[in-house]
Amino acid sequence: MSLLEVDGIEVRYGAIKALKGVSFEVNEGEIVALLGANGAGKTTTQKTVSGMLRPSLGEIRYDGKRIDGTPAHELISLGICHVPEGRHVFPRMTVNENLEMGAFRFKRPDDKLQAHVLDLFPRLRERIKQQAGTLSGGEQQMLAIGRALMGKPRLLLLDEPSMGLAPLIVKQIFDIVREINNDGVTVLLVEQNASQALALANRGYVLETGEIVLTGTGRELLADDRVRAAYLGEEIAS
Amino acid sequence: MKTGFFSSPHVKRLAGCMALAFVLALMIGNQEGSQDDYGLAFRQAIFSPRIILFIVIGLLVFAAMTFWPYITPYLLRPGVRPLAVGGITVLVSQTLLKWSDDGRTGNGKFNSVASKAANTDGLAPMAKLFFSNYLGWILLLVTFGLGAAAILISLRALAWVAAVLGVVGGIWAYTSQAAVRDFLGTPDHSTGGGVALIGYLTLAAAALATALATGDIADTRAFVNRLLAWRPGMPLVVLGLIVGVIAFVQATWFSPQGSNQTLTDTKTFFQGNGLANLAYQYLAWLGYVLFIATLLTAAAASYLRHRILGWVAAGLGAVALLLSLITMYDMTDLAAAAGVDGATGPWQNLGSGAWMACAAFFVLAGAGLVVATLGARDEQGELAPAEAPAARSSDTLSRGFSAPGSSKVFLFVILATALFYPPTATGFWQKVLVSEIGIYVLLAIGLNVVVGWAGLLDLGFIAFYAIGSYTTAYLTGALPFKPPSFLHLSPLLAIPFAIAICLLAGVALGAPTLRLRGDYLAIVTLGFGEIIRITANNNPGNITNGPKGAFGIPHPRIELGPIKFVWGQNNLQYWYLLLVLIVIVVLLFRRLEASRLGRAWAAIREDEVAAQATGINTTRVKLLAFAIGASTSGVAGVFFASQIGYINPENFVLNNSILVVAYVVFGGMGSLPGAMAGAAVLTWLPEFLKDQVPAEDRQMWIGAVVLLMMIFRPAGLIPAKRRAAELRGLNRSSSAEVGAVPEGEGMGVRA
Ligand SMILES: Nc1ncnc2c1ncn2[C@@H]1O[C@H](COP(=O)(O)OP(=O)(O)OP(=O)(O)O)[C@@H](O)[C@H]1O
Ligand SMILES: [Mg+2]
Repeated sequence: MSLLEVDGIEVRYGAIKALKGVSFEVNEGEIVALLGANGAGKTTTQKTVSGMLRPSLGEIRYDGKRIDGTPAHELISLGICHVPEGRHVFPRMTVNENLEMGAFRFKRPDDKLQAHVLDLFPRLRERIKQQAGTLSGGEQQMLAIGRALMGKPRLLLLDEPSMGLAPLIVKQIFDIVREINNDGVTVLLVEQNASQALALANRGYVLETGEIVLTGTGRELLADDRVRAAYLGEEIAS
Repeated sequence: MKTGFFSSPHVKRLAGCMALAFVLALMIGNQEGSQDDYGLAFRQAIFSPRIILFIVIGLLVFAAMTFWPYITPYLLRPGVRPLAVGGITVLVSQTLLKWSDDGRTGNGKFNSVASKAANTDGLAPMAKLFFSNYLGWILLLVTFGLGAAAILISLRALAWVAAVLGVVGGIWAYTSQAAVRDFLGTPDHSTGGGVALIGYLTLAAAALATALATGDIADTRAFVNRLLAWRPGMPLVVLGLIVGVIAFVQATWFSPQGSNQTLTDTKTFFQGNGLANLAYQYLAWLGYVLFIATLLTAAAASYLRHRILGWVAAGLGAVALLLSLITMYDMTDLAAAAGVDGATGPWQNLGSGAWMACAAFFVLAGAGLVVATLGARDEQGELAPAEAPAARSSDTLSRGFSAPGSSKVFLFVILATALFYPPTATGFWQKVLVSEIGIYVLLAIGLNVVVGWAGLLDLGFIAFYAIGSYTTAYLTGALPFKPPSFLHLSPLLAIPFAIAICLLAGVALGAPTLRLRGDYLAIVTLGFGEIIRITANNNPGNITNGPKGAFGIPHPRIELGPIKFVWGQNNLQYWYLLLVLIVIVVLLFRRLEASRLGRAWAAIREDEVAAQATGINTTRVKLLAFAIGASTSGVAGVFFASQIGYINPENFVLNNSILVVAYVVFGGMGSLPGAMAGAAVLTWLPEFLKDQVPAEDRQMWIGAVVLLMMIFRPAGLIPAKRRAAELRGLNRSSSAEVGAVPEGEGMGVRA
């Protein structure tokens, strides 16, 4: 049985139907990539899984139990941690305070875990007392991921962690995602950066205007002509 | 000349300054013409020499704006800020404050006193000199000018001269005013001399800072920190010394029939009148001995950082304070029994000296406590200063007064003032203290939770105050709609009910509306405030008694076996009740701010999406802020209703809601001390200005103060750390960055 099963969910923003029956699954220990053009509905899907949005149709099961419609703060205690799109850090709190906020669901933050997170992101350790708002974009993204890790996730939802970052930093972040996954955390990754995401992911799904149009293992998708044309900018040799 | 003379930025700026000066000249003073001369006001504003004053101000502003880049390096030098504050204070004392209460020497202000005093025979020559030939003004100009020149050309000798001149000027001004007062021999409440003294001493301190400066850039906070860190508790000892010496040597202890009896006079007065022995001994010698003993122990404890001595000083201070109070009670009780000056009970006819002695003992005990409770961590403070700046420099926001025990020092000073100043104030100020300052401080503390901590703009806050008041009226049976007989309560017992009902009302209002964002929430709460008031006015089912309101709400009383307090008409009694309420609320809220809930509020304020992503139940947490704020307002309502005894819907108008928001913003959103200070200052200011400026100009002065605050301290009087950062643009940088990402990186349009 897979850890997360999404079964035909439909999500509306008022009259706009952003998701039109999306189904996919994520197995324990996997990295699953969710690809798609701008506005395809990737963020919407993630928000629905993390409980920030409520589907109007369909079911989401986590660990065999239905979780659609459960609010985000309850899902966190089940181990679903979300790193929302666009580096939402608390700008006027220090790096340390941000990490402590990540452990909000516990009575007190776990010092060992914090040390581990800082080992993953040595840059954050150097800036532990700095205001998060003054960090560079890449550092903020690291902080956002680190903060989510402080909530001891079983399923980590990452929404475009490479957004707007220099290639070197993107590589670093993807390496860290792999490391996190090796620690036993299941990852659902939304990305535009298709080649790197698919190289990392076990499996992937391609969304187009609210529907899943393609699925396969990372390698299969990387080799797929349509993916190559749409995301890697290659001409289809027809 | 191609660009055109009139489009030059300098010309535009100059024209703007002149136009503003002109408008200001028109705005100040008499605004009415007369029946047969409609242009009177205009001509008064323009042709009387006043317009020149405004044009000069306009030119100065223009010059300051134009040469700002050249000026700023000087503004950062040590001594600039105290120089400005001192100069303004002396200026205020000469133009605004009263120098005499007695019409015989002109009415009030410095200039009118000066013109009379210069021609009065028999006035002490030094005083006469001070008031004649504009000497007061010249003294101010010279002292200020020397101080400024010393800063400008960094000449230490000049600074020393200015410092001496400042001290001399302050003492001269104070003694001159005292001479006028003594010469007239009437009771006097004028404050000009005292304020001038403070102003001149500030000027002297500014000059001293210039003379002793080590660097080119002022760091007031570091300087104050060094002072506080030198010997923890020492500032309190010094304060205790000054207040105590004035109390025991010079101040009035007992003042029947307007007589000013010092401590020795009081002893003579009560000699052989059958005063209880302990009290008599206190007046005769015990008081002095207690003062000296406490002072010396506190000073020694503080100097040696000796914990046990600290405890001894605290104990001595407490005992001495108790003995002082007992003596004051015995004295006044006896005087009341003998019917001295129409006294009807104890605590009447006391002068300020007795209360000052209490304050001195209180601060000295406080100094002892500060030393005694220095934790092990604080004691390492000795080595901290060397390495602290480096450790702290990255975290620019935690640059508070970090010296060990410094927050306690401030706390004791504020508590001493709150406890022992009000009894010496006039009846008018006692009333203001209770029905304006105190109540609005409590309301501001409550609203700060909603606006400052949770970041929700509530424009109907006064509604909960109304609910608290009407709940009290109902429970004490003052409304036509009576409670069941077993529920008929005394006002203080209504507090838990008011809290509960306001909590419910807060939740009821919040639950449907908190999903709304900023401005919509403001409009809905504004509507709610009006609904409550109009409902009370419309009197549905004859519950609220309509516009007539509720009468005869009983005053609070406590009767617990032998302990019995009954509150009556005396504002002082209510002040102490209010103080207890405020202290309890502040203690609770301080814990709240540091709690999980407090952190959740901070997170929501910072970034709601991130807060949600870290597992905060945003709706519930906002709702709690609403409810907690509401219940504080409800407590204030209970107090108000039972103090004033009658309420009607007109007490709860929209204006009051907006005022409370203004107080919180003025004081510093999200900062507990800030909200309290904001409410205290802005409720005090209009009452203070009543005596100082013409009634029609009052709002303008208040506006000017608020404007100055907005320019120089946009984050508020005592800003919360985070809020100050927000205004420095920290949060903008993060959100701007996302939008600034180049397209090539594959982000494209944000959803
Ligand atoms: N709050 C909202 N209200 C209305 N429409 C919305 C809202 N949020 C998203 N949408 C719409 O839903 C669709 C899917 O948006 P979504 O944010 O899921 O896209 P995405 O795949 O994450 O795109 P991107 O790669 O640009 O982040 C878009 O057409 C978008 O305009
Ligand atoms: Mg998206």
